[in-house]
This record gives sequence, structure tokens and C-alpha cells, in this order.
Amino acid sequence: MELTVNGVRHDVISPPLTTLLNVLREELYVTSPKAGCEQGGCGACTVHVDGRPRRACLLPLAAVEGAEITTVEGLSEGEELSTVQAAFHEHYAAQCGFCTSGFVMAAEALVNAEPAHPVGRDEIIEALSGHVCRCTGYAKILDAVAAASRGEGSVDNEPAFASTGGEPEGGAPTKGAPA
Amino acid sequence: MKAIGARLPRYDGLGHVKGQTQYVDDVRVHGTLWVKALRSPHHSALIKSIDTSKAESMPGVFAIVTAKDVPKNVYGHLEALGVPADEPLIAEDDVRWKGQIVGAVAATTQEAAQAAVDAIEVAYEEREPVLDIRTAADPGADSFHQWGPIYPHFGPHNHRRVRKGDVDAAFDKADVIVEGVYRPQAIEHVPMETQTSLVVPEPSGRLTIYSCTQAMYFSMGVVAAHLGWPLNKLKFVGGTVGGGFGGKVDTATETICALLAIKSKRPVKWRFTREEEFLVSSTRAPWHVEIRDAVTNDGWILGRRMLTLHDSGAYSRFSPYGLTKHAFHHTGAYTIPNLRFDGFVIFTNRVPTTAMRGFGVTSVSLATEMHLSRVAKVIGMDPFELRLKNANRIGDTTGNRVVMHDPSTVPVTLAAAEAAGIELGADYRAMTSDRRTGDLLPEHLVDQQAPDGEHLMTYRGANGGGA
Amino acid sequence: MGGSPIGAAEVIVAASRGEAIDAFGDGAGVTVVAGGTIVMPDITHRRRDAERVVLIGNAGMSGISSEGGRTVIGAATTLADLSDAVEPLGTCARRVADIEIREQATIGGNLCAPPGVESPRGDLQAALLVLDAQIRSAGAGGERTDPVEDVLAADGSRLVLDISIAEPEAAATATVRRPHAHAYTVMRVCAARVDGEVRIAVSGAAPRAVRLKACEAAAAGGADAATTAERALEDVTPSDDALASGWYRAKVLPVLVRDALTQLG
Repeated sequence: MELTVNGVRHDVISPPLTTLLNVLREELYVTSPKAGCEQGGCGACTVHVDGRPRRACLLPLAAVEGAEITTVEGLSEGEELSTVQAAFHEHYAAQCGFCTSGFVMAAEALVNAEPAHPVGRDEIIEALSGHVCRCTGYAKILDAVAAASRGEGSVDNEPAFASTGGEPEGGAPTKGAPA
Repeated sequence: MKAIGARLPRYDGLGHVKGQTQYVDDVRVHGTLWVKALRSPHHSALIKSIDTSKAESMPGVFAIVTAKDVPKNVYGHLEALGVPADEPLIAEDDVRWKGQIVGAVAATTQEAAQAAVDAIEVAYEEREPVLDIRTAADPGADSFHQWGPIYPHFGPHNHRRVRKGDVDAAFDKADVIVEGVYRPQAIEHVPMETQTSLVVPEPSGRLTIYSCTQAMYFSMGVVAAHLGWPLNKLKFVGGTVGGGFGGKVDTATETICALLAIKSKRPVKWRFTREEEFLVSSTRAPWHVEIRDAVTNDGWILGRRMLTLHDSGAYSRFSPYGLTKHAFHHTGAYTIPNLRFDGFVIFTNRVPTTAMRGFGVTSVSLATEMHLSRVAKVIGMDPFELRLKNANRIGDTTGNRVVMHDPSTVPVTLAAAEAAGIELGADYRAMTSDRRTGDLLPEHLVDQQAPDGEHLMTYRGANGGGA
Repeated sequence: MGGSPIGAAEVIVAASRGEAIDAFGDGAGVTVVAGGTIVMPDITHRRRDAERVVLIGNAGMSGISSEGGRTVIGAATTLADLSDAVEPLGTCARRVADIEIREQATIGGNLCAPPGVESPRGDLQAALLVLDAQIRSAGAGGERTDPVEDVLAADGSRLVLDISIAEPEAAATATVRRPHAHAYTVMRVCAARVDGEVRIAVSGAAPRAVRLKACEAAAAGGADAATTAERALEDVTPSDDALASGWYRAKVLPVLVRDALTQLG
């Protein structure tokens, strides 16, 4: 079966009922989507199928033959991060990082949806509601997605962290997103 | 010092957002076999026989291990301190919890491994399970555990005790006794990454062990002990743990993978399914806590009697440690001078319990805080004011005689009241953590107050002869 | 765990409704995958034999149309595409899981969800019951149409082709849910007035959705919402599961019935 993953065409040999998750991880060595539950309950396996976010653990290979699959590995161009990736990094939206791939793909679909619009908190929660995180308590993830939807990845996609050279600016350290 | 006050990137942040962070299951070694476990379907049963012969000849099967394949099957991490071990890596003569491992298979695919597991024949003789810690230690109760129903190794005692002051006198003097029972239940850690390890045999004869453990040197010691190997034959590769929260200190998969890797001479990986993670991985323990406080009408807590039962599940693991921490904190953030605490670790036919954030202490915080609110309700006092009155202050001593030098109870309680929009009396709003004097130093708190001016770590009371 | 290895399964990706019907045959040994959100975990974890698997997601069996005053919905229509469907179906479809699941899950799959011992998944079944759903299916003996009650009572050995539902005069839902970022329905009562008759059903109280016929009889006899609700437990005895106890469900069901009927007016 043929599958295009992050722009690369593959002749896949896994059996047709193999989940897309196992095709990606075991046959194609694309490991960003994770086996969090293999039942569609956690969102750690979410990838894009023809641009829409889907649970890779629920899709048999035969159902996505010929489709264009995008994973986190396909978001950045060289060292340049997508706006969503940069926002997640800048806003500390990942701790252990295991859920991050799934959240990023869900956020990409939301932030890049047509027509473009700044998304409110409720809309973000609704779009990401299939994703479980056990570390962060979600607040910084929501901040990151809101920032990304405002186009605030950061200037030139370089995360906006203070440099470690020179004196720190005065005042208490800020946690999370600047307002 | 340039980092202080600066916003710094997480060193692993880029890896996370690019999907490049490597977890154990992302490591790729050619020829890796998959592991599936044979688990007890019974809460409690004798093992009469195990027959792996059919499984051994099934397609794709490279190795099968049962108890007889483990050089040192029973090992406990406190052995070096003289505390005997109780838990086998793989069940030998009996199974003591539903899900306990009876054997494990390494095969070319998960399907092949599971099919082989299904072909292992085990004959069990079921026993009546023990599932309620309240009745497990009743007189005449049968116990499945070789030590009886109660963990016996707390020095000369079979329980953790705290004794302070004269609790009988306190109860005599009280205006009212307030009782409560609190039963926090088991909680599953639910890490997004399930328990996983990958063991690779090296040409040198060493094993490289990719592990999701939170405690690498500890796990290294566990594996080495079960194998009877020196530590320098193991190379542990840790890295990013996909969430642990205390549940990845039990070295759940590494040792069995090591045995299978040695037997099969192939790399071996075991990744728990989410079902395994929920059903058989260790949890935070359930507790049963009974508190009785001797209380005055104006809100002094003169004394506390407390009984705690800690559900260890089928084996002891770290339960004695958790109970000990629980015991040390059984007065909460408050100064109670007369104490009688008894805590027991009880064995049941449940999954062995383990650490989880705040191990031992979250249970006692829940119980003591709920109980204080109950006390406030009974005597008709504002719950914040009750807490402020009894709060730890500088110079107060805890149940185990540690002297408080910088307690935060008062400012935190005041801040909480303000955040909740609660109006407190003027006297209470003015309270600080300063040493107790005047009205805040009633007679029953004098003896426990450490002398001023000396920075003592502990203080046994005016009659107890110093630090 | 049983189940033949997935590598040995015969997999047919139907490209048309006709191909799907042919591949299904009389249904013996066939597993149908539409969206796959319910069936795939069972296949992946070998809880279900996968000898002959027919995929119908791309067989042109989705779509919503009108026929003679009723709405006809293809079995492979996704829940996302039913967001604006006639009430109470629209509400039920919108409140399943999250957007990723809803864009993959289908109404046919939901109708055919195996009876749930834990958290019943037949989220749309109560809506179909009150909308007088007629189920067109293929299988042994050819194509035929059955009322949804019969389909829910059967053992699921037919291929669902499409579902037609009535246009109600009024509709209402009353739900109890667990706190969660998205709807996590414990139990829902659907009510509708169709051709002057009140129909009322509950999902999440039993392994499959149940029509509350005693309540319907009371309502038909002119009883008010509260009185009608007292008969809620005559047609169902809720049981325990991970989401809620049978006791809790039994306490709450009459309240939901009363609320739904009050909304219905």
C-alpha cells in the first residue's frame, strides 16, 4: 500500500489492518506519535490525515491508503519551528513531553483552520479535549495555543527567552505567557 | 547567578515540540523481541503446577521465564539494612494478587508472545482472598503472607508509633471528643508513557538496559541483586520519563526483560499496555484513618489519638516508609502536645501499593484537615480561626520532637482566608508565626515549647532532658 | 485473548455500496469497519476475531438526504457531519467524545456498538429510538428495513446501509455527565413528539438504549412530567459501571425524564 508521510512516498508492507500508529512507529520509524493507550482515549497518537487530526491508533492502514499523513516531524523546516511549536516551547507547554506531539498536531489543525481567526479559550479546550496530559495541568498548553493563534510563535521563530549573558532584567521572573 | 530572574528555555523543550525526545519505546534496536506476561487470574491461590512446554514450541518464541529461572527470586531493597524481603520477582508457590506475574515470554511479535502466554498451562488452587484492611488482622484471621497480616519490622514493634505527653490526661480534661474516620482510596498514576524497558545484550557480556525508571541507580541495584550480578555488568540508560509520579520506582519490567535477554541472546522490550498499566501496575495505597481529638470549647486541641491502617497490597515494597512519613505528619501543620499514634501496614490480596507524589503524607493531610473542619463544626468555631489558634509557631515541636524554626501555617492560612473572601476576627488577622506567649501559650502547650535562643533540632520537653 | 493474527485477515476495502453488500454476504465471520473507533481497539488488542474485514468508510455510504418527509442518513456518515442534524440527534452527535473522534466515528458504527458492559457507547441510540428510526440493511435474505428497536434487540448480523428518521414536532434531551473538557455522558434521556405521540428513551442506563414505554403510556394518558417520570424504572434496571453506580442512575433517571418532558412542553 502506498502512503505519503511528511512529503515522502512509501510503499508500506505492513498488513492492511495494522494501525497507522504501528505503521508509522514500527515500519517507518516515525516515532513522534506515541502509543499512549492504543484505544483512542488519550490523543498521544494524533497525526494529520489529509490535513485533519486523527487518532493514528484507530485507523487501519487500509483505510488511509493513498492519504497524506503529517506528523510533528513534518512541521518544521530545517531548524525553523512552526508557530505552534515555537509557542509550545516558549510557553513551557511540555514537561515530560509524551503528550506533546498529539497536542501540537491538534493545535496545528485548530490554528491553521480556515477562515483564520483568533481562537477563544473555550474553542481551544473543545478542539484539544481529546488529549490527556498528566504533567502540566493544561494551563500553559492553552496559553501556548492562544498565543499561536494570535500569530505569536515568536520573531523569526526563535523562542523569546532571555539570554543567559548579562544582568537579568529587574522584577520577579515571569512564569508562563506574557499577558 | 545570571540565570536567576531570567526566563530560560527547557533544555529538552525543542526535542519535545519537534517530536524528537526519545523515550524507551522510541529506541530502535534490530532484532528486538516483544514481551508478554502470564498473570494470575486469581486474587489468591496456590500454584499447583506450571507447564510451558506447549508455549516453548510456538512460532516466534525465543524464551520463556518462570520463577525457577530467577537466580535470586526474592529480593527486598532493605535487605542490606537487615530487613527481610518478601516479594518474589515471579510467583513461586502461590499468587497473592490478581495480575501477579507467573511467567513471561519473549517472541518476535506481540501477537506471538501473547499466543505463547495463552498456551502456558497453570493449575491453581484458589484461596479465599483478603481484601479489607479493617478485618485482615482480626483475631483468628488467616493470612496468606508469611509474616502474618501485619508487617512486623518496625524495630521491636509491628507498627509505627508516636507517643508524646499524656494523652489520657488530655482526654480527661477535654470538653468534647471529636471522632472521624477517613478512607482515601487508591489512585493510579496514569503516566502517559506506560511502563517500558528495553534490554540489549552486549558482546562484552554486559546488558544495556533502557529504562523508564525514575530511580536509575536504585533499579540498577534491583536488577543486579535478582541476577546475582555485579553492578558493573549493567549499563542503565535512563533519559526522559514519560511521567512517573512515583509509579516508576518499582522496577516493573527491567529484571524480567534482562532474564529474557540473557536466555534468548536477543534484545527484549516490554511495553505495558494501557490495560496493564491500569490493572496491574502499582498504585497509591488506600488508607483507613481514625482520629479522635480531645478538644476544648474555645478551640484548643489538647490531644489526639489516631489509628492508621495502610493497605500495602500483597507485599511490603515501600509501605513501611510511606507509613513512617505519614506518622511524622499526623498532627498536620498544627501543634498538638499529647499524642498516641499507631500505624499498621496491612497485607491484602491487592496489587502492591507504592509511592505517589507526597507518599504517605497526602493521606494524613486529607485526614487531619478534614478532621479539623469537623472539630470546628462541632464546637461552632470558624474553621480558619481554629487552624490559626493551633497552628505551628516558632519554637513549637512536632509529634516526633522536631523543633519548628520557620513554620508557614499562620501566613498561609491567613492568605487562604483572604483569597476565599473570609472575614476573620481582628485577633486572628493579627496573628503571626512568632513564639507562643500570653493567650497563645496555654498551660498545656508550655512543656512542648522549645527554649528560646538555642537553635535546637529536636526537643523532648521540659521533663524530657533536652535535645 | 483470542483472535487470528491480523496479518492473516482478509481485508476488503469496498469502493461502492454494492461492493460492500457483496463482500458482506450473509455476514458470517465478517467484521465491518466504518469509522473504526469502536472496532479497531478490539482488533488491535485481539478481543475480536478479524478473519474477514470489510471497510465501508469510502464506499459512498455517507450523506444526508430527504425522502418523503423523513431524513435518510447513510450508515457511514460521520458524527461530525450530524452536528446540525434534526434534534435530538444533533445534540447527541455533537456530544460524543472530541472532534477527532467525531470526524471518524459513524452513525452506523454507533448504532451497532456491541452492548456496553462499561460506559455504554450507544450514544445515538436513544435519539434514534425517539425519532422512529427505520434501519435499511443487507445480509442473509437480501435487503430489508427494520425498526430500530428490532435492530437493537438483534445480535447484529446485518450490514446497515442507511437510517431514516422522522421530523419531530418537538424534541428535548436531559443529560447527566462527568466533569471533563468534553462531554462525558453518563446517561441521557431523549424525548420527541412524532405524529402527536410522545416518545422517550434513555441511553447509558443499560448495555443498549431503552425505550421507556411505561412513561410513554403515562404521557399519552395525559399525565404531567413529574407523574410520568415516576414510571421511568419500569422499563430499565440500571447497573453499575466505572462511570456511575446503578443506584445513582436509578435516582437520576426519573429526574432526567421529568426535565426532558418539561422541555418538550
